[in-house]
Amino acid sequence: MNQTATNEKTFAAADTPTGRGLCAERLTLGYGAAPVVRDLDLRIAEGEFVAIVGPNGCGKSTLLKALGRVLRPKSGRVLLHGRDIRAQRSKEVARQLALLPQNPAVPESITVRSLAARGRYPHHTLLRQWSPDDEAAIGEALELTGLADRADTPVEALSGGQRQRAWAAMILAQRTGIVLLDEPTTFLDIAHQYDLLELFADLNRRGRTVVAVLHDLAQAARFASRLVVMDAGRVVADGTPGEVLTADLVHRVFGLRCDVVPDPRTSTPLVIPHERRR
Amino acid sequence: MRSARPPMLRVGSAVALPLHPRSLLWTLLLLAALLAAAAATLCLGRLGVPLPELAGALTGDASPAQTFVLNRLRGPRLVVALGTGAALGLAGALFQSVTRNPLGSPDVIGLNWGAGAGAALAALALPGVVPVPLGALLGAAAAVLLVTAATGTGLRHPGRLIVAGIGVAAMAAAFTQFVVSALARDQASVLAAYVNGTLSARSWEHALTIWLVVALTTPLLAALARPVALNEMGDELADSLGASAARTRTSAITLSVVLSAAAVSVAGPIAFVSLTAPQIARRLTRASGPNLVVSALVGALVLTLADLAVQHFPFADGLPVGIATLAVGGVYLGFLLVREWRRGVL
Repeated sequence: MNQTATNEKTFAAADTPTGRGLCAERLTLGYGAAPVVRDLDLRIAEGEFVAIVGPNGCGKSTLLKALGRVLRPKSGRVLLHGRDIRAQRSKEVARQLALLPQNPAVPESITVRSLAARGRYPHHTLLRQWSPDDEAAIGEALELTGLADRADTPVEALSGGQRQRAWAAMILAQRTGIVLLDEPTTFLDIAHQYDLLELFADLNRRGRTVVAVLHDLAQAARFASRLVVMDAGRVVADGTPGEVLTADLVHRVFGLRCDVVPDPRTSTPLVIPHERRR
Repeated sequence: MRSARPPMLRVGSAVALPLHPRSLLWTLLLLAALLAAAAATLCLGRLGVPLPELAGALTGDASPAQTFVLNRLRGPRLVVALGTGAALGLAGALFQSVTRNPLGSPDVIGLNWGAGAGAALAALALPGVVPVPLGALLGAAAAVLLVTAATGTGLRHPGRLIVAGIGVAAMAAAFTQFVVSALARDQASVLAAYVNGTLSARSWEHALTIWLVVALTTPLLAALARPVALNEMGDELADSLGASAARTRTSAITLSVVLSAAAVSVAGPIAFVSLTAPQIARRLTRASGPNLVVSALVGALVLTLADLAVQHFPFADGLPVGIATLAVGGVYLGFLLVREWRRGVL
């Protein structure tokens, strides 16, 4: 695979000890008076596939927004490769880190290719709105998402699964070392959910760091190399899916009694809820 | 697979701007149509300069009567129509894009009527104290702030935006009528100018005002076109791509207010050019984003044609052009309301 120059630099520096990756330091986040996330520390190394899970309202999406520089912390800071994310120019950050939010709006009459091309914005300037890498980056993003033959189709005409792939193509065209995904599989049928997660797992194997907020614990355990479990604005468990995902934890965090059994195919943990006793 | 490289405007290695082929084609066609409409404006009717003599008359070889028509009657009127139409088209394209809403147009949400009220107040109640364009600007800004405050959700929710806009427009129109009837009771034409918008009896001073504003805002518009397009995908995505959504929105709304106020200060609150021009432009180009250039050209063409129509309308001599755009645009607004309601947007 032909990586961009930026990415080659990123990977070459991967094993230097200067805090490469994303790091949250004593992060307090919120929208109004009451904080949603309080005093949170988290370190994500390059090359990881981290799934953030937790009950509704636990602050996982809020955390992702702060990691992606979209939400300003009330206190604390986020470091990208050792430097405060707020002290860097926004386009500079956007060349290293991409965020796919939960419900992006599809602009009127946009084609799949134009949508993917918007991911190139941080690589452009006012007078140079086309960089030599654009053609390769957009073409590659469309190939990887399987949309190459739908490139000139309006996004509005795509099915839900293809539409989500088109958004994925946009952040792939951005060619960042780190990709943040906020519940990318919501509203997709089960086949398209696995399809999309396989795509991100594949990107992870090719060297990208992936951080995803996911709802489905089995999917999180199957695809991620590390689970971060949040509850009420704090990290309550952090480790490999095998270590973290226990019946006790699911009961404590989600209030659900269950058995945890190994997946017969991948031997990653599967959650089997108990029937409710009346 | 077809190549991903679009046609490109290049200047050495410093400038590379991708061009959208359909937009380019329509830009050329609209320029040709504008030329034809301009020639028709100068040539038609009893006072018109006959087409074969037009080129000569424009290059200095004109009879005194022709000079009067070109210099005093139709020349300034045409130039004001072109600039005002372009300004209204641009203001509408920016505002509709930023509100992510085809109904979020300056003339639907009361901005133009606020500017009209400000202009009327400046011209009639405080003549010589407050320049008319400044009055229009303050009126437009006040209208936007009122609408933003009245919705309770800023400029996000289309339905609330329209309801608040109708209220603000009605108040502004009532205020305008009050000022005009208190201070210029005898002049129906003055009332028409401030309530509906008209292009009759325009001077070169008006032409200079509107074109100066269009020229000064053009570089800012060029810089804003791409961030505005990114904003259409939602604030979070625009922010994460490195284009600050809040700053883009503030700049775009400010520019839209300035352009609308300039248009209103030279021609009154002409309705529905801002609403229709960007949407006609979108249908022509089928391009995403705010379509600024084509919206400006469509706005100029719509207003020039509407003014041409009222100048030669058989039964109503001196009909204000604003009444024509109101009548035609009102039908379109109705159609749009029904469509958006069916789509569940409202």
